[in-house]
Amino acid sequence: MKKYLSIFNISFQQEFAYRINFIMWRVRNVLQIFLVFFLWDAVFKDPGRVVFGYNREGILTYVLGLIIVKSFVFSSKSMDVAGEISRGELSNYLVKPVSYFKYWITRDLSSKSLNLSFAFFETLFLFLILKPSFFIQTDPILLIFFLLSLILAFSLFSLLLFIVSAITFWMPEAGWGAHFLISIISVEFMSGALFPLDILPHFLQRIVNYTPFPYMVFFPMQVYLGKILDSAAVKGILISGLWILVLYFIMTLVWRKGLKVYEAYGR
Amino acid sequence: MDESSEKAILVEHLSKNFEVIEKKEGFLGSISSLVSAKKKVVRALKNASFSLREGELVGFIGPNGAGKTTALKVLSGLLYPTAGFVQVLGFDPWDKKPEFLKKIALVMGQKNQLWWDLPAQETFELNRAIYEIPKNKYKENLSELIELLQVRKLLNIQVRKLSLGQRMRLELVASLLHHPSVLFLDEPTIGLDVVAQQKIRDFIFDYNKRYKATIILTSHNMRDLIDLTKRIIVIDKGGIIFDGKLTDLVGEFAKEKIIKVYFSKEVDVRKLEGVGKLKRFDFPQAIISVPREASAVAAAELLQNFPIADLTIEEEAIEDIIRRVFRGEKIKKVRH
Amino acid sequence: MADKLVNQLSVVRHWLGKLLRSLKLPQPQKLKVSFVLSFCKRLFYYFRIWILMSKNSFMTVLSRKKILFLFLLGKILRFSFFTAFIYFLVLGAKGLSGYTKEQVVFFFLTFSLIDILSQFLFREVYRFRSLVVTGDLDLVLTKPVSTLFRVLMGGADVIDFITIPPLLFAVCYVGNLFQPSYLQIFLYILLFFDGFLVALAFHIAVLALGILTLEIDHSIMIYRDLVALGKLPIDIYREPLRGILTFIFPVAIMVSLPAKALMGLVSLQGVFLSLTSAVLTFFVSLRFWNFALKKYTSASS
Repeated sequence: MKKYLSIFNISFQQEFAYRINFIMWRVRNVLQIFLVFFLWDAVFKDPGRVVFGYNREGILTYVLGLIIVKSFVFSSKSMDVAGEISRGELSNYLVKPVSYFKYWITRDLSSKSLNLSFAFFETLFLFLILKPSFFIQTDPILLIFFLLSLILAFSLFSLLLFIVSAITFWMPEAGWGAHFLISIISVEFMSGALFPLDILPHFLQRIVNYTPFPYMVFFPMQVYLGKILDSAAVKGILISGLWILVLYFIMTLVWRKGLKVYEAYGR
Repeated sequence: MDESSEKAILVEHLSKNFEVIEKKEGFLGSISSLVSAKKKVVRALKNASFSLREGELVGFIGPNGAGKTTALKVLSGLLYPTAGFVQVLGFDPWDKKPEFLKKIALVMGQKNQLWWDLPAQETFELNRAIYEIPKNKYKENLSELIELLQVRKLLNIQVRKLSLGQRMRLELVASLLHHPSVLFLDEPTIGLDVVAQQKIRDFIFDYNKRYKATIILTSHNMRDLIDLTKRIIVIDKGGIIFDGKLTDLVGEFAKEKIIKVYFSKEVDVRKLEGVGKLKRFDFPQAIISVPREASAVAAAELLQNFPIADLTIEEEAIEDIIRRVFRGEKIKKVRH
Repeated sequence: MADKLVNQLSVVRHWLGKLLRSLKLPQPQKLKVSFVLSFCKRLFYYFRIWILMSKNSFMTVLSRKKILFLFLLGKILRFSFFTAFIYFLVLGAKGLSGYTKEQVVFFFLTFSLIDILSQFLFREVYRFRSLVVTGDLDLVLTKPVSTLFRVLMGGADVIDFITIPPLLFAVCYVGNLFQPSYLQIFLYILLFFDGFLVALAFHIAVLALGILTLEIDHSIMIYRDLVALGKLPIDIYREPLRGILTFIFPVAIMVSLPAKALMGLVSLQGVFLSLTSAVLTFFVSLRFWNFALKKYTSASS
């Protein structure tokens, strides 16, 4: 446990060593929110309007909530795993008495905590300059469900990243492209990080709901906004739990095979 | 006709200052230095004058940061001089006239112009277009360079798959396709293994001889200088402190002479220490270095007090002197 | 009055001279036939070099087919997802700030075309940092070809190139839905190139900033984020953001105005204003580049 604490620490400090990078990445996050915010602001110019089952307050809360949820779920360091595999640096870890996965999860947590604290101030800042109407959930049960769904979302995304990074075992140069692809599909669209998924036509919603992506952003936000009943929330949490099991199984399988290939190459 | 037009390179009273912003430590420091930048002037070249005749091959030496690269950059038009007069082939380098740039080449070890993921051939084709080399001329130049540098087999291999030495030779081909008559070579052999170094050296020698090219070479490699250059310019702290024949460098800078003695009988080593600095003792031979002006006295002392079979007084080896130059050791002219 | 005009003309000539000098063209003492000829020759010279450089960078990418495929797929997906998103959004919301769903899609398509075109041509900007950091830029500077040209256009991107034709088709198809008049089409094309000029100016400014601060990755990304705000008609933004996007960082001119022109929503004054400001932006950025280059060549070591 102690060694993971120190990994957490080092990772945290390293983020500060590249602070310009970090700050820029946060600035970009805020810039990207502008587009979505004003888009919805324009749609809901009339305060009494209800579209797609959202009122003005609901949708603006969704948009600002994205900053917090995204910084917790998507900010991660394990993007580098693919690079480490292709450069052959994975070997450095295989000989050390640390679990590679736990190592990266620890680093992810460190990155998430840093991002989250920044996200908090950013939301405050946006709140002050944009003065949106904001919905505050007070039901304690829903809040607990919200937190639970966030933790599940984070696990889902980490597993997904590890699976995608494993592609590098077979195609050392493709790691970058694979990340690009998955982050576009999952991060930008199918997770609900750009828009709430219920604006899509029903048949598309149904397709998307058969993937793990909505449980990364859309589902937690629905829970927070109280847009689904307690029973539906429980069901959603169970489904994301199921997805975690499935992805975990796939990940261990892929990594076991991948490591064999890696060792065969003798990198 | 004034004198300047006969010279390939003419530099008079050249100075180059850099303004360096002193960065403060830490994040807050870097912000505060944005607001109140403390500028420091670094004088990279101070009143330097020298000239090269057409076809001359001259070595530039000096410790790191002495101003060698700065001088080459000014000569190739990359840097604007703070003061002084510079002329290369009758042009002011700073104007960067295409006619001028087509006659020179700057080659820097460890800097790349070859396209990394492609065979070098493709870069050559691009350079042909950039330098507007006629097709026949291009073919002729290319095959000559290929032959001189022995790179025929490397032309169709992706650059990233080549060794550093192979890459450097191809870099030279790319830089010289347009047959420059003035070459600035900045550490062309840096990082190469001994065989690769030799290939580059042979090439520089041939190129200079064959095309009467004017070449300035900076190097930290002793062999480069001894094998290639007759004339040496020593720069230290931005100023030229020696300009002359390599062989004269010894006479100018040697502070010491080397006395080699062969003893006929065993001697007490400690006693030798009194005569001068004992560099090596390997009975019957001893090598002692003594201050130049004291060499005669030391020799007399040795002959008087020790059983000497043979004694010679030699100049300090050129390698030792150059090594001292590289180290930036205080070298000053010795009055004779 | 006449004095003023002459004065203005001389200013224009001054700037034109600067531009031509920066391209290492012969001096336009008088506009003679020989000058026009040598200008064409120079243009052809640069075109040939551009073709060769593009061939090289295409070959570089094509040697890694899997990566090419992944990125192409990613770009197509991203594009279609976003199109679908705004289509369904405006469909459900029954219009956006007074625009129909076809109009909003057309704004996005116009944005994409300018964006892709500038990425295709100016991809090399993204690699500029390593050129400066390694010092390889020094070798570029000693070449008898414009440095700006080399670092701006030296690496055309084949992935973007592939996506241009279908996108162009989509723009024509959706644009045709508005049944534009010839004047509107002409204004669209004019303002499209005008917008492209602004994009060019921004890329040049990013390069200049890169020389001064050794920093490219962030400034180009911020540029992309800001331009991305032009995916939607600028009208949706509140002040002061809208003002910033019109006057300070003219994304509005770059992407919104051409689309509006096709829909017949731009006055001639607006056209004139945007033309002047684009040209102005371009020359300011060119000046900035020259300043930065001078700074580099007189400062760094």
